[in-house]
Amino acid sequence: MNLTENELQQRLSDARTRTSAFSALVKLYQERLYWHIRKMVLCHDDANDVLQNTFLKAWKGLENFRGDAQLSTWLYRIATNETLTFLTSQRARNLQSTVDIEDVMCRNMKADQYFNGNEAQYKLQQAILTLPEKQRLVFNMKYFSDITYEKMEEILGTSVGALKASYHHAVKKIEKIVSDEEF
Amino acid sequence: MERNNKYSLDEIGNELPFTVPENYFEQFAAQMEKSITLKQISKTQIFKKWMMVAAVFVGLLAVGQLMYSTYSSYKQNDTENYEAYVLSQVNDAELMDNYVDELHD
Repeated sequence: MNLTENELQQRLSDARTRTSAFSALVKLYQERLYWHIRKMVLCHDDANDVLQNTFLKAWKGLENFRGDAQLSTWLYRIATNETLTFLTSQRARNLQSTVDIEDVMCRNMKADQYFNGNEAQYKLQQAILTLPEKQRLVFNMKYFSDITYEKMEEILGTSVGALKASYHHAVKKIEKIVSDEEF
Repeated sequence: MERNNKYSLDEIGNELPFTVPENYFEQFAAQMEKSITLKQISKTQIFKKWMMVAAVFVGLLAVGQLMYSTYSSYKQNDTENYEAYVLSQVNDAELMDNYVDELHD
């Protein structure tokens, strides 16, 4: 089903065509959202869970979707919120542990059968994990997906200026880490 | 290029070091469709269930009302029949005597 944004929104708002339109929506956006999530949660199984939650939330929220934002923006927002919620719950579960959650995530990522990076790429992921979560989001969206700052502003609700500054600082910090032999 | 664990972002590049299981996205889309359909069916079933509960409740109310009406009507008839029976056992003269005695009391 090759539909324009407007056609898709119309079909989603009509109860008779909602289910088939939603299936089209899933097929259209699942990969982009998956990678958006995966860059943050690192493991495939976790990304799969968060992606499912994202689309289930989107399905439940369809009746309240007013079309004031593009579908992609709306979905990215849900995916971002679900990802941050997931990471918060991971952090809460790890409270009793003496090991930092970032170390746990690194180990799990390396052990994940769906991680195929070399040492340099592994070191980059370790460096990214030193960033606060919101900054990590900005870095991932710009560095790996080259999402425009304007689009990021719509998704994250942060000004373009603040996003540019955040990315700039993130790059500086990461460059320092990956070039540090001792890290 | 790896040199004593020292890298630059230019060297590392922006390729993601992650993969997915084979046919993952095809299966995901199919699974989501199934989940949505199940949720739709479940919603309809819940609605039908509550309609049935409401119908049973209304039915019980109606039956209850009918039984109460029947009982009330029966009780009234019963009382009336009893009075008629008692009155049939005495004649008018005795009734009058009784009335006069009560007045004097």
